[in-house]
Amino acid sequence: MSTTDAIVLTGVSKSFRKSTIRREHTTLKSELVRWVKRQKRPEAPSAIIPALRDVTLSVPRGKTFGLVGRNGSGKSTLLKLVTGIYTPTRGTVEVHGRISALLELGAGFHPDFSGRENIFVNGIILGMSRREIRARLEEIIEFSELADFIDEPVRTYSSGMYARLAFAVATHVDPEILLIDEILSVGDEHFGRKSAAKMEEFRKAGKTILLVTHDLSTLQRRCDQAAWLDAGLLKASGSPVDVVAAYRAAVAESEVLALEQHVARAPDPLQPRAGPPAEPGRRWGTFEAELSGVEIHGRDGPQHVFAADAPFRLRARYRRYGRVEAPVLELSLRTDGGTLVWSSSEPLPDVDGASLTLEMPRLGLGDGNYVVDLSLGNSAGAVYDVHRNLYGFAVRAQDASGLLAPIHRWSIEPTAG
Amino acid sequence: MIRNLRELWQYRALLWNLTQRELKARYRGSALGFLWTFVNPLLLMAVYGLVFGIIQRTNIQHYTYFIFVGLLPWLWFSTSVGVGASTISDRRDLLTKVRFPAQVLPATVVGTNLINYLLSLPLMVGLGALAGIWPDVHALAFPLVLLIQLVFTLGVTFVVSALNVRFRDLQHIVTNVLTLWFFVTPVLYIPNAVPEPYRRLYLIANPMAVIITSYQGIFYEHRWPHPRALAIVALGSVVLLIIAAQVFERRREEFAELV
Repeated sequence: MSTTDAIVLTGVSKSFRKSTIRREHTTLKSELVRWVKRQKRPEAPSAIIPALRDVTLSVPRGKTFGLVGRNGSGKSTLLKLVTGIYTPTRGTVEVHGRISALLELGAGFHPDFSGRENIFVNGIILGMSRREIRARLEEIIEFSELADFIDEPVRTYSSGMYARLAFAVATHVDPEILLIDEILSVGDEHFGRKSAAKMEEFRKAGKTILLVTHDLSTLQRRCDQAAWLDAGLLKASGSPVDVVAAYRAAVAESEVLALEQHVARAPDPLQPRAGPPAEPGRRWGTFEAELSGVEIHGRDGPQHVFAADAPFRLRARYRRYGRVEAPVLELSLRTDGGTLVWSSSEPLPDVDGASLTLEMPRLGLGDGNYVVDLSLGNSAGAVYDVHRNLYGFAVRAQDASGLLAPIHRWSIEPTAG
Repeated sequence: MIRNLRELWQYRALLWNLTQRELKARYRGSALGFLWTFVNPLLLMAVYGLVFGIIQRTNIQHYTYFIFVGLLPWLWFSTSVGVGASTISDRRDLLTKVRFPAQVLPATVVGTNLINYLLSLPLMVGLGALAGIWPDVHALAFPLVLLIQLVFTLGVTFVVSALNVRFRDLQHIVTNVLTLWFFVTPVLYIPNAVPEPYRRLYLIANPMAVIITSYQGIFYEHRWPHPRALAIVALGSVVLLIIAAQVFERRREEFAELV
């Protein structure tokens, strides 16, 4: 246990009762009725919802630590545990230093009171003494840029003004450890920059910051370390670049899976053969010839998320059942928005069955989600088997925005004069 | 246990600020402003004075003043407990967003109503002056009785506000209990009106009865409070507050999750 860590979480779990989440409250009446009837408390194990599961994490002193995760992954619960609003179900939370949490701006603001009066109450709630507030009052008012309105009731403020005042108070608390929950996006652009500068100031002053955010670029720019929570589990922690990469890959994966969610449920049309189209709008045709077992592979097997210059392979099985003339396989590649990126036709040989593979040694696509549509027919207008919106993949490449990521090289040669 | 009260002391600036704010908020933007403090007790006094002083014809002298002496501290107690019941369960905004010493909330309610009580004392003295009754040396015992009532009220409010977070119907039960409690407390009548066999039990079982009769002794009858009875209530109130602080601390962990 070193003192170089400002926050240490050891094996922390936190569970909530389902009834708590649904905000159902016990009443004395129901308790009495149950006691009279001598019933046991009905407590199924499923009524416990784990928000955090065995999280071990330490935030070094003086570092900015970023926390990412989807909604409901337990980030806010973790912040509340560190703040002391919640107590852990299991495990320990140690905090070394005076802490200030910006979980919500303007705690205790009263609409009927002036900005000045609210600075006092809010400041005291955030842990400042009256003397400290009085000493910093001018600074706070100046930072909020509300000098003209500071003696007006807060209810007359716009939401931006409200947020500015609240943020001004919150950042003047002067804590050793600052917890921030995605509220830096308050106010207009000008104020946003000011807030960012304030955070930078905190950082330079050697304060520990624990930041919860959805904005991955913030995370990479501002944080020294990062961790990724998913469904209450610590998935990764370490350098922001690694954590962000892991997080992005997982998000892309889940997006593609959502895109493809019908595939798993579509019955294999080979058995029984010539069954009705499995998915209207997604799969149709006469099924005199069929495509099946379509899979997208990367270098080592099935893959959903690709880098811009990764190898890409599409595999499928072809089978002929009836009289099929000059079959042609058409492939189109679209973005998930529907823009056609590339389409290609390939005549198939006159055989009963074949294994088809499309090879692209370098995918060369920009960051985004893509759909592959396949269609088996011929030039005479026969439609044997169409697969639409069934196969998807994603490209995650921060340096390649747009549709294409062509092979390229810059030559820059200085010229005289 | 002690932590609870020590924290309350640490956060006295917050307590004071919230109390001030509560008081200001109550009167801000209302035409009568500060005078509202007096309207409610005066109206109650008028109603009871009409019913028991004129219609029922009690034989208590200077009846309206008598009522007022007991009614004001009773209102301090009953408003604190009644309003205090939901003071934690209503403040989701504070409890789930900042680390907040929850005991400040019920303490604020008790403090606000204490100040209201103190502010209406001049009115009580004025009313007594009309009847020719002035405070005398017995008023020296007033701060002591006040302190005992403060401890007792804090204790009850702590327990009720903490339990109301889980049992949301408690606040409604409390409202009704307070109405009953009012009538078994000698505010409108003197304890001697209680039939002799029950009088002892009546005073032992109801600390508020002892406290209210002490005020009446000081301001109305000009005698010292019954020392033994008051000592018992004082002791009981301290024990109650200690238990209440303990209950509060035990419950506290669930506040943020349940509110």
